[in-house]
Amino acid sequence: MSDYRALGGVPFMPKPARPAPANTTGVVGWMRQNLFSSPSNALLTLVGAYIAYVTIMAILNWAVFNAVFEAESRRECLDLVGRAGACWPGVVAWSRQIMYGLYPADQIWRINMGFLTLILWVVPLWLPRVQSKVAIGLTAVLVYPFLASYWFLGGQAGFVWSVLIAASIACFVWVWATALLESFTGATFGRFVLTLLGVQHRSEQDQRRVLRAVAAAMLLVAYVAVSFWTLPFVPTTRWGGFFLTLVISGIGIAFSLPSGILLALGRRCDMPVIRIACVLFIELFRSVPLITILFMFNTMLPLFLPVGVEVNQLLRAIVAVCLFAAAYMAEVIRGGLQAIPRGQYEAASAMGLGFWQTTVLIIMPQALKIMIPTIVGNFIGLFKDTTLVSIIGLFDVLNMARAVGEDTRWLGLFIEPFFAVTVLYFICCFAMSQYSINLERKLDTGPGGRR
Amino acid sequence: MAITRDQKRPSAAPIWSFLNDATFRSIVYQLVTAASIILFFWWVIGNTTANMAQRNMSAGFDFLNVSAGFGISFTLIPYREGDSYLRVFQVGIANTLLVAIISIIFATVLGLFVGLARLSSNWLIRTLARSYVEVLRNTPLLLQIIAWFFGVFNLLPRPRDSIVWLDVFALNNRGFYMPAPLPEAGFNAVLLTLALAIVAAVYIRIWAKRRQDATGQIFPSLSVGAGLVFGLPLVVFLALGQPLSWEIPELRGFNFQGGLSVPPSFCALVIALSVYTSCFIAEIVRSGIQSVSRGQTEAAKSLNIKPNWTMRLIVLPQALRVIVPPLISQYLNVTKNSSLAIAIGFPDLVSVWMNTSLNQSGRAIPIVAMTMAFYCAASLFVSLLMNAYNRRILLKER
Repeated sequence: MSDYRALGGVPFMPKPARPAPANTTGVVGWMRQNLFSSPSNALLTLVGAYIAYVTIMAILNWAVFNAVFEAESRRECLDLVGRAGACWPGVVAWSRQIMYGLYPADQIWRINMGFLTLILWVVPLWLPRVQSKVAIGLTAVLVYPFLASYWFLGGQAGFVWSVLIAASIACFVWVWATALLESFTGATFGRFVLTLLGVQHRSEQDQRRVLRAVAAAMLLVAYVAVSFWTLPFVPTTRWGGFFLTLVISGIGIAFSLPSGILLALGRRCDMPVIRIACVLFIELFRSVPLITILFMFNTMLPLFLPVGVEVNQLLRAIVAVCLFAAAYMAEVIRGGLQAIPRGQYEAASAMGLGFWQTTVLIIMPQALKIMIPTIVGNFIGLFKDTTLVSIIGLFDVLNMARAVGEDTRWLGLFIEPFFAVTVLYFICCFAMSQYSINLERKLDTGPGGRR
Repeated sequence: MAITRDQKRPSAAPIWSFLNDATFRSIVYQLVTAASIILFFWWVIGNTTANMAQRNMSAGFDFLNVSAGFGISFTLIPYREGDSYLRVFQVGIANTLLVAIISIIFATVLGLFVGLARLSSNWLIRTLARSYVEVLRNTPLLLQIIAWFFGVFNLLPRPRDSIVWLDVFALNNRGFYMPAPLPEAGFNAVLLTLALAIVAAVYIRIWAKRRQDATGQIFPSLSVGAGLVFGLPLVVFLALGQPLSWEIPELRGFNFQGGLSVPPSFCALVIALSVYTSCFIAEIVRSGIQSVSRGQTEAAKSLNIKPNWTMRLIVLPQALRVIVPPLISQYLNVTKNSSLAIAIGFPDLVSVWMNTSLNQSGRAIPIVAMTMAFYCAASLFVSLLMNAYNRRILLKER
């Protein structure tokens, strides 16, 4: 410390640091490093910039700058700008059909309500303090469809269907009661009800009895409510547009996960009959294109069922899509199962867990977590493949978009509706894939933690 | 607890204890499964025969020799309107395979290119490649096929105003026209030389590898092989006085005549399939190359291996191990996806067989079975190929 003082008595004063060379920091530095690091790189950048500029300007010119936004018919558009710009009024005029198909205009609010219910049902999954997320997610997949079926189909509900709808409504009430209670008080719904009724100190058996009674009462109230609730019947032949696409792919996705898990377990079990049956099913459905399965079910399902049983076309398509999706999902899940080290099974055995306990508590949570990107990729694939139902004559979003160009007023207007549908699909699929990447990062507990 | 159970056991195990026996349970489960599957099929078959009897349908294959009696707009193998249904099936398979093979070639080249662009050190190129992949991967293939067909190939000019390149290729709304090769006497010799050259190149490669394993000496088998395959036939071709002429399509009357031509639906299908598949191939290539750890490149550098050899001898062999299996399954996907041809009226297997022939003959069961059998056979063939490859590249661990 005192050495340099002894040398000259001048305290150490560092000179101010020189600024970094101008060429390595800031925008210029970044550009030098990433775009112009060598002559060939600079050339590539210029070529790339040219391609990007031409593509983006072509799309913008067509879709925005030269486009027509108000016209009565395609002729008018063509007179105004010719083929240089898009003719959006046709798409706007048909937007209702593209979204909802031929669903009666005065009933469309039901579709919106149906999807709003779904959104409300799954919102609690994102609330941070909610604990029963697994139960909420399961009810959304297993119970919500009954309520949705009534929103979309309507008509006179029979006894069984009414009970299912009532159960669905009761579940919905439970979901939100749970979400609110857990967010604000931290107590589960059951504990809250018990406290409310003043029976929280009774024996466990009594408490369970009380809870069962409460559930039954909720169901009864919901059933009474349902019996007063009638919506006009809308046959599935009038379903169409993006709504139909969402229904088919939603059912396919909801069905594929549980059945895929069962098939994958069946394929890995050591009972030869079950294993062979699963392998045959999976391999058959994976090796043929979806369109052949759709055709097959379209022509042969009526043959397979007893004489005189009619199956509507939507149901045939849904059966085909579900079986196809299940076979694909089974292979994805199998990949996840194979990645679980043997030690996990042995440890579960050592803890005295049986097959189902091991599977449900130890193996599946890990396998599903590893496979999240692939599972979501599969969902996206299924969502895209749903467009194939247009080939067997269902009026899904693609057929509706094609119908625009066959309308006499908008004759030949094909590119604009297809462009709109493409954008719609892109937004949905891209959002799904980005969300899965996000989820993967959040759940990553591997060595090194969050990478 | 444990003690009481031990005390009980010798006296008398309860009579139902066999219910907890794993083997017994497994047998019961399997019997139940087998029985329910058999019952299900019995039920389905019973229903089907009843339905078919009611509708006067038959399930036999005897219709295969009957004349189909409809025309097919594009056929790779010769077909006339009076030919049998069996011929229609063959035409469908040939068309499907043609579309699949051409799309696979284009998709591989494009995918490799985009995949490498995604790894570029240049930010702009990387971003462009990424947006290409994201946009095309996240929109349905059927939509893309229809968009190419209606948006591009349907709007092409009439034959009179065709787009013509180099006076030999022409593109209009009736299709794409190109010259057809007409082999003359002696051309077979060229083909024979080509075959011999390929055999020789493969043999040289094997020999060079064996020598390298034994002595460490490197022989430039790749460039010598390429020289043989391209050079020898060329020499023979020139020596024989170029025994090949081209039939160039010409505008006669309302359309081009002569040469080879493909309909617009074929072009739309091939382009859409290759562009769509190239995105997946690009991602496969990228992840394959990224899967080779950095240490490998660094180790190669520290051993003073030349950079281009590092890529060829260190990185690529390890990356290929990751790339090839998903790549092959993409190829299979292309074959399956080519069935979407039906949306734009290209006569592939599903379109001519499962749609037209089925509607016309009403033989649903044999036709569906034959279509599925074709796709199953293709997929079985590919999985055999893949298993063989996987066995070959299996890491030899200590």
